Amino acid sequence: MSNFLKLIYNEVLKIFIKKSTWIMFALLAIILVGFAFLNNTLVEEYTKDNWKDKLHQENMELQKELDEAKEGSDDFFKEFALSEIERNNYHIEHDIMPLQNGAWSFAHDGSTILGLVSMFTIIIAAGIVANEFNHGTIKLLLIRPIQRSTILLSKYLTVLLFGLFTTIILLFLSLGIGAIFFGIEEMPQIVLEQQDGFTHVSLIKETILKYSYYFVNVIIFATLAFMISVLFRSNALAIGVSIFLLLTGGAIVQFLSDREWAKYILFANTNLKQYANGSPPFEGMTLSFSITVLAVYYLIFITLTWFSFTKRDVAGT
Amino acid sequence: MSTPALELLKVKKTIRNKEIIKGLDFTVNKGEVFGFIGPNGAGKTTTIRMIVGLMKLTEGDIRILGNSIKSNFKGAIEKVGAIVENPELYPYMTGWQNLKHYARMFPNITDERIKEVVSIVKMEKPIHQKVKRYSLGMRQRLGIAQAILHKPAVLILDEPTNGLDPAGIREIRQYIRKLAKEEEIAVIISSHLLSEIEQMCDRIGIIKNGELIAIQDVHESNEGEQKTNNVPILLDAHPIEKAEEIIQTTFQIEVQKREGFLSFQSEREQIPSIIQSLVQQDISIYQVATSKTTLEDKFFDLIGENTIE
Repeated sequence: MSNFLKLIYNEVLKIFIKKSTWIMFALLAIILVGFAFLNNTLVEEYTKDNWKDKLHQENMELQKELDEAKEGSDDFFKEFALSEIERNNYHIEHDIMPLQNGAWSFAHDGSTILGLVSMFTIIIAAGIVANEFNHGTIKLLLIRPIQRSTILLSKYLTVLLFGLFTTIILLFLSLGIGAIFFGIEEMPQIVLEQQDGFTHVSLIKETILKYSYYFVNVIIFATLAFMISVLFRSNALAIGVSIFLLLTGGAIVQFLSDREWAKYILFANTNLKQYANGSPPFEGMTLSFSITVLAVYYLIFITLTWFSFTKRDVAGT
Repeated sequence: MSTPALELLKVKKTIRNKEIIKGLDFTVNKGEVFGFIGPNGAGKTTTIRMIVGLMKLTEGDIRILGNSIKSNFKGAIEKVGAIVENPELYPYMTGWQNLKHYARMFPNITDERIKEVVSIVKMEKPIHQKVKRYSLGMRQRLGIAQAILHKPAVLILDEPTNGLDPAGIREIRQYIRKLAKEEEIAVIISSHLLSEIEQMCDRIGIIKNGELIAIQDVHESNEGEQKTNNVPILLDAHPIEKAEEIIQTTFQIEVQKREGFLSFQSEREQIPSIIQSLVQQDISIYQVATSKTTLEDKFFDLIGENTIE
């Protein structure tokens, strides 16, 4: 094993030797099983034979409600109803049955708890340096014939590996649990709304894309937590600040959405999938704009982290 | 002469405009055990942290077998094994896992070597228990084990006898002497308990307020002084004033009164005749003692009060 791989191995070992890490994965499994039970109790709405009739019926009902509401000013409902009718028509026209319970649709829904992956990765990133300071083990770690920057890199890469691993675990867990509860669908298709109307893609591809795009978010928050952990050598601060921003980042952007500069906020740019389908929160934002903003933040985080870890004294507590 | 194992060259450290270390200058040779003592806050740990590269030097240089810790960190540090302050290890791992962890940070450390080290510090039994269950003494042993894993040329032990029982201290002491002698390792031991390290050191450096105020050869101070002409003597005699006068006038020796004793220095050969002449003049002698100036006295003489600036 090369020397650098041995360092990574050390870091991975220190993460997985702790029970708390395994609790995270157990938690993911428990939540998914809970979802599966909930889904299971819902009656299947559509069957192979009746789904077209049902969609026709839904459309008629929606149209009726629209006609009645004509004089009212409920624009939101109107928009929703029109869009639903259009979506249903698209299903019928292209002969695509609405999504059924199954491994892939369950995994697609499971992406709603991808936030937990970010959260767990934040916890690992926050601890990986700060805990060495808390335990005092940093002293014995840094007096080895290895440059500080190499040790830092091994820790950072371990965090990213953990994030990647956890993302993949969530995908496989939800696929597995979905398969056990509902079986596996054959060639499922999902209908998506885009700026210029509806389209359909393979659900498998869409699910994998969703998880992949989300990994950008995992990287950014892991890097943020890692930086705070190195700068302040405090586990709690790194976890607190990072998770707070993870939970409120979107709301902050929305709150400031009338400001021109809000599009430069980190959290307005972490969702790159908004360019594939969906719409960006600000006019004029493009994929390359977001990537540039992310790159700038990323470089600042990494530079501060590297500088602090390699240059500062490890003094007594 | 071969390259010294450890050289400190005019080492200074300033933290927030305050000079903590004010120009340390000393060398430790191969096979030598060097005691580094001083009161708390004198700068022992700061110095050790600079030697192992945890803190940067403000001025000066530190060389390990000729390799500068500043310009050749890897080359210097691979020859060093250390415990800095407390032996802090990963509490959630076993002793063995801790040693394996550190072994992976060196190129070639086999399991056989780890086993060897474990038996050297006599930790075979609890090595597969988690470190959080260890007593301080066991942690101290494990700390020494990780420090000697890679056969360093310089071994730095910060308060190594802390938490050890007397038997453990004796063991560690013997082991350190053996390491120094047989493997030509330079050992630097810091402590505030002089009596403990006095017995295992060849030389002792006394640090106070960031300055090395004395370097003392241990064996010289124990044997050398006893042979010199002036033996310090304590005398319990009655009447004390008369005795004082006799010694002063007859033998031309300056006498001081201290806690009811007469204290003076004389040649060893002269002691019987002093006693004889006192007895002849009807002075009752209750006790005559040669007081040995230990390093401890010297330490207190040099340090004075334990002041922290």
